[in-house]
Amino acid sequence: MNANPVGGDSAPRKEGVAFGLQVWLLTGRFLGNAIRQPAVILPNLGISIFFLIVYYGSFGDSPAIVQLTGGNYLNFVLPVTVLFASISGGAAGLTLVEDLESGYFRRQLSMPLSRTAMVLSAMLLGAIQVTFEAILIIALGLVLGADPAAGALGLLALLFFSLLWGLGFAGYSVATGLLTGNARAAQSATFIFFPLLFLAPVFLPFDQLAPWIQAIARVNPTTYMLEGMRSLMIDGWELWPLAKALIAGAAFALVTLIWAVRVAIRKTSRA
Amino acid sequence: MIEVDRLSKRFGSGDDAVDAVKSVSFKVDQGEIFGLLGANGAGKSTTVLMLTTLLAPTSGDARIAGYSLSSDGAGIRRSVGAALQDTGLDPMQKGGGLLELHARLFGFDRKAAIHRRDELLDLVGLRDAADRRIGEYSGGMRRRLDLAAALVNRPRVLFLDEPTTGLDPASRRAIWDEVGVLRESGVTVLLTTQYLEEADQLADRVAIMADGEIVSTGTPAELKAGLGADVIELAFDEEGVAEEAVSVIGPPANRLGQVVRIPAADGPAELARVVGLLKEAGIESSSLSLSQPTLDDVFLNIVESRGEGVGR
Ligand SMILES: Nc1ncnc2c1ncn2[C@@H]1O[C@H](COP(=O)(O)OP(=O)(O)OP(=O)(O)O)[C@@H](O)[C@H]1O
Ligand SMILES: [Mg+2]
Repeated sequence: MNANPVGGDSAPRKEGVAFGLQVWLLTGRFLGNAIRQPAVILPNLGISIFFLIVYYGSFGDSPAIVQLTGGNYLNFVLPVTVLFASISGGAAGLTLVEDLESGYFRRQLSMPLSRTAMVLSAMLLGAIQVTFEAILIIALGLVLGADPAAGALGLLALLFFSLLWGLGFAGYSVATGLLTGNARAAQSATFIFFPLLFLAPVFLPFDQLAPWIQAIARVNPTTYMLEGMRSLMIDGWELWPLAKALIAGAAFALVTLIWAVRVAIRKTSRA
Repeated sequence: MIEVDRLSKRFGSGDDAVDAVKSVSFKVDQGEIFGLLGANGAGKSTTVLMLTTLLAPTSGDARIAGYSLSSDGAGIRRSVGAALQDTGLDPMQKGGGLLELHARLFGFDRKAAIHRRDELLDLVGLRDAADRRIGEYSGGMRRRLDLAAALVNRPRVLFLDEPTTGLDPASRRAIWDEVGVLRESGVTVLLTTQYLEEADQLADRVAIMADGEIVSTGTPAELKAGLGADVIELAFDEEGVAEEAVSVIGPPANRLGQVVRIPAADGPAELARVVGLLKEAGIESSSLSLSQPTLDDVFLNIVESRGEGVGR
């Protein structure tokens, strides 16, 4: 190495590091910080578990509902609680707001880093947190007696969907976080998602919903995500619902990623 | 190494528009330490943000380390380092961990990154604090770590925006020493400061910025010489009285608290005139002396002649 600690112009790579390595290193930093404050995900995890237990406790023994939802209400309601956990993806936006406030975001902008990598790594943080919560929720569901028709591989597919959904949610929170630069505003923005989560076949199958809710649910990506996850729990490996869930989840994640990157580029009008 | 060509920045539009930087041009040679000196709001930070590619200029261009600001921002980001006025550090990280991460982001492999981290920790004297969270660092430690973070990629050009503002004398001295190391290493440095003493101490050349424009450039010695050989210094018991004296004497008299300083080409002759004027106006000074000009005089003279307060 250069004996001179400062000058010498000998940074190893002239062209900046590869995009994949940037994402890897930046996501690693986010995860390291998140692990240092595990309490951040506890409230959301608690709410999801609370939902699971309350829904199951309230409706699980009602023969009418069991009839409507295909036998085991736990199988029916588990995907709902997994989707609710996706709200934790909002942590991604809050993390970026912290970086904006500390000035660290700006330091990264002054380095040869891709803004897409900066945004994507925050989204991955959110998605990983969501998946981690999903694992705990699914484990609890299994303990309570859920029996997925698609088996253990089906549970992996369920986790994959929750990762995709978490990515989309995280992208939304990153975009609003960058747009507002304010933790409280970014947090409030996640409330927009409650209607989206509820105007879907959450507690009852689609054909049991009121017509006006059906109309909204039909264009709500949550519906397809939910039905895809549910098909794994109740029907096993069915191509069509899974394909629709994949398309809905991937489209949601892609749209929010593009939005977040565009906001990042617009908000940081660097040369 | 740095060539700035009619760089301008306007914030906002219409009646509320602020011209923070107005067609500024200057050159900094390889290995030179260049001081940008100005009061609050002069446009120093705006200039630095534009040159570090963090803020898009309204017009004008610059070449830095051989890269054009308008067409190769990425090249500039790879070859410069910047410690901005507000430090950019992640309080959750450990000092050493942050430097190591940045070294990897600049393309050092794992082993080289650890080596680079240790080199930099030694340079800024933070080896003992390497495993502490940055959130627990003092202001001076943060500044030093921020400086280290700006050096990770062995930049050819370094931007330091008010590196010592708000630091106690010992921490300021530490940063000055580090800039001294930089000087020896041949890095080109653009540093901004409000402290004239700092520019005098560190910079090979100084540009004085006021109200978005560069109003004077030269070595500290040249700038002082431009004012004349002598400075008359008068002290008063109260600021009000000093203010009165300034208005009686007129430019180039300027006031710093209870002290009035008057640059003069011919000190003794001017002294006689000043004493006469004060006597006539019935103003009494508590002390009187004749000395050499400092950069303060240059600065105050310029600011005063532009009809602006200095906010001190
Ligand atoms: N983002 C912004 N939007 C609007 N006006 C701005 C913005 N940033 C700076 N300004 C204005 O531009 C002018 C120059 O500001 P700048 O921060 O460059 O000054 P400075 O010389 O760095 O001052 P200081 O010594 O206080 O740091 C000021 O009038 C300031 O109010
Ligand atoms: Mg400033």
